[in-house]
Amino acid sequence: MLRLKSIKTIFMSLALIALMQSCESRLDLVPEDNRLTAEAAFATEEGYEQAFAKLYGGIAVTGQNTTGQPDIVSDDEGASGFIRSIWKVQELPTDEAIIGWNDGGIRALNTQTWTAGNDFTRAAYNRTIYQVTLVNEFLRQTTPEKLDARGETDAFKAVVNGYRTEARFLRALAYYYAMDIFGNVPFVTEADPVGSFLPPQISRSDLFNFLETELLAIENEIPAAGANEYGRADRATVWMLLAKMYLNAEVYTGTSRYTEVITYSNQIIGAGYTIPATAYQHSFLADNDTNGAQDEVIFAVPFDGLNIQSYAGTTFLVHAPVGGTMSAADFGINGGWGGIRTTPTFVEQFPGEENSADQRAMFFTDGQTKEIEDIGSFTNGYAVTKWKNVDVNGNAGSDPSGEFVDTDFPMFRLADVYLMYAEAMLRGGGGDMTTALGYVNQLRNRAYGDASGNISSSDLTLDFILDERSRELYWEGHRRTDLIRYGRFSTQGTWAWKGGVPQGTTTGAFRDLMPIPANDLGVNTNLEQNPGY
Amino acid sequence: MKTFLNAILLCVFLVPATLFAQSTVTGTVTDGSNSMPLPGVNVIVKGTTNGNNTDFDGKYSLTVNNGDVIVFSYLGFVTQEITYNGQATIDVTLTEDAAQLDEIVLIGYGSTTKQDATGAVDKVSDDDFNRGAIVAPEQLLAGKSAGVRITTNGGAAGEGSQIRIRGISSLSANQSPLIVVDGLPLDQRGVQGVRNALNAINPADIKDFVVLKDASATAIYGSRASNGVILITTKKGQSNSPWKVEYDLKASSQQVNNTVDVLSADQYRNLANVSTAFDPSLTGNANTDWQDEIYQTALSAIHNITVSKGYENFNFRVNLNHVTQQGTLRTDLYERNAINTAFEQRLLDNDLKLTLTAKGIIDEYSFANQGAIGAAVSFDPSQPIFDQNGNFTELGANLAPRNPVSLLENDQNNNRSKRLISNFNIDYKFWFLKDLRFNLNAGIDYAENNGKQFNIANPNNPGAFPFQNFYSGLNRNTSLDFYLNYKKNVESINTVLDITAGHSYQEFYVASDQTLTGASGGLITNPVIINRNGLESYFARASFDHDDKYLLSLSYRADISSRFSPDNRTGYFPGASFGWKISNEDFMENSFFSNLKLRGGWGITGNQEIGNNYAYLGIYSPAVNDQVSALINGQLVPTLRPNGFDENLKWEETSQYNLALDFGLFDNRLSGSVDVYYKETKDLLAQVPVPAGSNLTDQIITNVGELTSKGIELNLDGKIIQNDNFNWDSNFNVTFQDIEVENLSLVDNPDFVIPTGGISGGTGNTIQILRPGFDPTTFFVFRQVYDTDGNPIEGAYVDVNGDNQITTADRQPYKKATPDAFIGFTNNFTYKSFDLSFTFRGSFGNYVYNNVSSSNGTLATAINAPGAFQPNVHASYLDTGFANPQLFSDYYVRRADFVRLDNLSIGYQLPFENVQVRASITGSNLFVITDYEGLDPEISNGIDNNFYPRARSFVFGLNFIF
Repeated sequence: MLRLKSIKTIFMSLALIALMQSCESRLDLVPEDNRLTAEAAFATEEGYEQAFAKLYGGIAVTGQNTTGQPDIVSDDEGASGFIRSIWKVQELPTDEAIIGWNDGGIRALNTQTWTAGNDFTRAAYNRTIYQVTLVNEFLRQTTPEKLDARGETDAFKAVVNGYRTEARFLRALAYYYAMDIFGNVPFVTEADPVGSFLPPQISRSDLFNFLETELLAIENEIPAAGANEYGRADRATVWMLLAKMYLNAEVYTGTSRYTEVITYSNQIIGAGYTIPATAYQHSFLADNDTNGAQDEVIFAVPFDGLNIQSYAGTTFLVHAPVGGTMSAADFGINGGWGGIRTTPTFVEQFPGEENSADQRAMFFTDGQTKEIEDIGSFTNGYAVTKWKNVDVNGNAGSDPSGEFVDTDFPMFRLADVYLMYAEAMLRGGGGDMTTALGYVNQLRNRAYGDASGNISSSDLTLDFILDERSRELYWEGHRRTDLIRYGRFSTQGTWAWKGGVPQGTTTGAFRDLMPIPANDLGVNTNLEQNPGY
Repeated sequence: MKTFLNAILLCVFLVPATLFAQSTVTGTVTDGSNSMPLPGVNVIVKGTTNGNNTDFDGKYSLTVNNGDVIVFSYLGFVTQEITYNGQATIDVTLTEDAAQLDEIVLIGYGSTTKQDATGAVDKVSDDDFNRGAIVAPEQLLAGKSAGVRITTNGGAAGEGSQIRIRGISSLSANQSPLIVVDGLPLDQRGVQGVRNALNAINPADIKDFVVLKDASATAIYGSRASNGVILITTKKGQSNSPWKVEYDLKASSQQVNNTVDVLSADQYRNLANVSTAFDPSLTGNANTDWQDEIYQTALSAIHNITVSKGYENFNFRVNLNHVTQQGTLRTDLYERNAINTAFEQRLLDNDLKLTLTAKGIIDEYSFANQGAIGAAVSFDPSQPIFDQNGNFTELGANLAPRNPVSLLENDQNNNRSKRLISNFNIDYKFWFLKDLRFNLNAGIDYAENNGKQFNIANPNNPGAFPFQNFYSGLNRNTSLDFYLNYKKNVESINTVLDITAGHSYQEFYVASDQTLTGASGGLITNPVIINRNGLESYFARASFDHDDKYLLSLSYRADISSRFSPDNRTGYFPGASFGWKISNEDFMENSFFSNLKLRGGWGITGNQEIGNNYAYLGIYSPAVNDQVSALINGQLVPTLRPNGFDENLKWEETSQYNLALDFGLFDNRLSGSVDVYYKETKDLLAQVPVPAGSNLTDQIITNVGELTSKGIELNLDGKIIQNDNFNWDSNFNVTFQDIEVENLSLVDNPDFVIPTGGISGGTGNTIQILRPGFDPTTFFVFRQVYDTDGNPIEGAYVDVNGDNQITTADRQPYKKATPDAFIGFTNNFTYKSFDLSFTFRGSFGNYVYNNVSSSNGTLATAINAPGAFQPNVHASYLDTGFANPQLFSDYYVRRADFVRLDNLSIGYQLPFENVQVRASITGSNLFVITDYEGLDPEISNGIDNNFYPRARSFVFGLNFIF
């Protein structure tokens, strides 16, 4: 047995240890794994590059892993992506697409019966505003003062300043879609903090002015047209966004700006892009960054079956329209998701419909009906075979499992510019008919493979252009904006299931703007709902 | 350690010494109150290890020397000492110890007695535990305590439970109680790789649970106390007790007694007559009940060998435990091997007591692929298990369900977890002031796990590759706390003072890494994830007992958490309670109340268990791998993301009020208590949408909103029959509760809702909402319209806002998953050597959304699949005839009241002389009375979707005590 005294000694020293272990500094804990504090993140040049990479990642992928590390948690991760969420809002309420799934409010997009509680309009809202805050954070962390404080070299400062310019473009791009879809959105810049505050609401026209100023400010700082690498913004991308804003300026601000559309279209066209002499479908294949189709691409969002994976981009656009008796292998994928088809109205845009000489009419009709009796049934409505994950030789993309696709998303391409030029010309913005006709016939030539589909100047009307935009640019995320500019989205124009009835009916003019999501109205008292909701 | 060795040596030398015994004494020990023989009484020669137990008839026999002092001791009775002077027989009558009857109840950093407790504190001991082959210790407690709801997460092997004390007091932070084992608070997040972290505590080792329910009782645990606290005390040896060797076996067989109703193969094939879209060329000729194929009769065995011995100053208990438990889902297996030890050493005339407990546990799981449960529901029943070539039948489309049997047979996931839980306690009475006591607790809970998973390549996708996943992790929880306690009866003011003050520091370290199949089929190693957080605390309590009538207890805790910024790091948690022992008043002298006490308490508790250690810091997260890169400067650059954060994050605070009456009638033959409580949580730690643009994500965990919870608890204990041969004890408890979200946003907006409760059948769909004024599990649905025959009309819903359209605006809050009331009802009977006990549990006012039925119960399920396959249809289609899913119809929200016979046990004590043998048979989950048509009405979140069925089990138990 231990002696009494030694026990007391041991015991008292234990007590002393217990008393000494009190030390609050042990509670200042920071991550010990690969997560970084902001200071640590910007301590290396790689850190800047990777933080910058996230800004482009924000419009392609949905988080820090293919799935499971989402940027946005309110919405299904796949549905929360930039391209998928915007695509759904731009296409599903129109005559170009109908979807059969049971997901929450997706049916309401088809039938133009959405409310402020709709989860798919919310997804587009969340993602566009998220992209804005992502850029703002990058701009806050890379101010000249911070670069000085961190002792960066002049050469590296120049690199970072280039990143900042592109970042501002990406913010403008996100705001552009937010302005187009929701109009009056929360407005934050790098001057705002992160945390508990209520962002103010900006009116659609004020946002237009902000974007115009912002784009003009970076126009000359950003690399010249074609001088930046594929998939990154350059001066032509800035012009393109300006041109699209001006084309719709009357909708956004009440004042038309068609002259500027002509100006910027001319600048883009003059920058060396061409309509390639390849088949139309090449623009939507797995190798559309190398098969020649890229010659007309002004701005693309690249995807890669192994390294840029997401359920939100072209993976959605290739899988979701495959169903029924379609062969997934023909699309370079492991299986279809049996969701998206098109309406009879769109099929009828093509003379001869599914047998049209126009090669842009890419329908799958075997086992499909043209009419849509049941939205939920994939076989109701013709399927569309525009987007594929095979190259020009029919070989599947790089993901051996056939899940994720290589197909890039050509957000801005020359065909769009040609049609914008022609429309702005007809709307009195200047330019000339011969040039416009030449542009349109270039597209027709590619579509028909020869001059058989060419039109004459008397055919070139505003109505023709709206239809031609649909034929040329369908399923690329433009239709809603185009229909609204023509006043045919809500109160005019009917197609299957619009308004919730099989034959279609008109809806209220307020639907030209999507509602501010109810949950954001609930937490931000600065916001006022768009009229009608 | 040296003292233990000494003790063991001592024992080795003493045993031969007793061989020089000169004479034998025999006798009978009886219970003074009823003259019944008392079995199991310790009879020992004082100061030696020479002792024995009385047998079943209360008889003993002992070899003794003249002058030896024989000590007769038995728990709950006054110990007697008799000097041996050559008597041939010594018969002893033991009397009940009134002081001991007033049970000691732990209350966290100290103890009180049942009579002096002022908080809502409930002790559930060994005798009251549920019977059966129980592997998860919390199941011992199910139905035994009012206000405590314990719901198993399903029937998987080694599965855990959801424990809720007095409803919930948080939305996004942890809702489980803090569990303290022998003074060591466990990590509320559990440990990695195991289905139930609590399984490390062997049920056979548990002496009692003390449930601290109200804030006045729990506030001493401060920031982790809002969900209540459960104190678990494990068994120790007893001083001066003879060698005791106990072997306990529980062998059981479990079967699934209910499966999901799906179409039979014939009904399925008949769909071709219903719809032309159903392609008969895809169907087969077999009749396979896939659910029959995936479930098995599961066998389990629990072995416990326990050895204990007590000396004057030293005692120990060592338990060896082996568990093998099969799941009813084939290939599901859980194994546990554990050693549980407890040593107590008393020194310095018992002024210093050292206690060491150490448990070593190896948990091994073979996790069956639970995807088989859903696959069995939807796999084409007309297909055989094997095709003509003897391979598993597969449907050939990428999104088709996989062959359920193949999922079980071909996919493997095994995890082995090694864990050590040890606690060292020093309790010391100061030599200069015996009323002053020092108590120190040093504890560690250390776990390492290692798992590997292998899934075969999806046979429905020719390009797919096998999936491999090697994962391992480490959890370490270290704790050191000490306190000083001063307890003194100050006779001048007729008051007993009991004052405690102390300090504690606890640190949690969790690391995990993973190497798994990447996008291109090769193995990739994910970055190691490390999380560390610390909690430092100061605490104090003062209790006063004046005249054994008026009780007052005050407590205070300051917690400092690493999870908050230095400005918000410290939280203060006071508690106060009073008690008035009315029955001790003079005017109650002749009352028929044998006990009457009024209690009341108030306290503030907190919650910091938000699942994120650095949520107040702006953290950048690198990409997990190279699958989400961006093309920058000619390279694929991995992205670095700034995460959302709230630098003002702080404690969630719950105020709770409790008022109660304890009573005893007819000499405490009928006793019980009624508690009324009201809880109000402010600054809720909730994951809520942020104003768009204000943060770097769309939802963050922040302090927003309020939640209230109120309830009434009634607990009744009856000793209904007490006589020589027959005893009947009964316990009934009932809880009425009501939980309501009061506010959810920074701006007070009653219309603001947050969707919750994700369901299957489409992506991103939810069926519940958080909304001010409603229970947090409220369903959010369309109100179904029915035809004159009472059948639901597809797609016809009540147009609530009258705009002639059915839009999301027409969805309404409707019913909830939380019960309004729940009960537990236990009866114990003993007749001579027989005993019988049973426990009913019931729940009322709870609803369940049948997601299996809503997502699979339509024609579209079969004919609208994405590919050339036709999944099976839930049998509800036969009732509804729905062509397309109506996921949000209230048709699928069903009343799920139930009463379940949790267990029924019959035991018999075999009449042997030298060994006590008890044999028992227990049936668990014998039947459920419910109107719910789905698999099981007891679904904790209220969404019934591919639930692993709870099995019915029969247990054969044998217990030997030597």
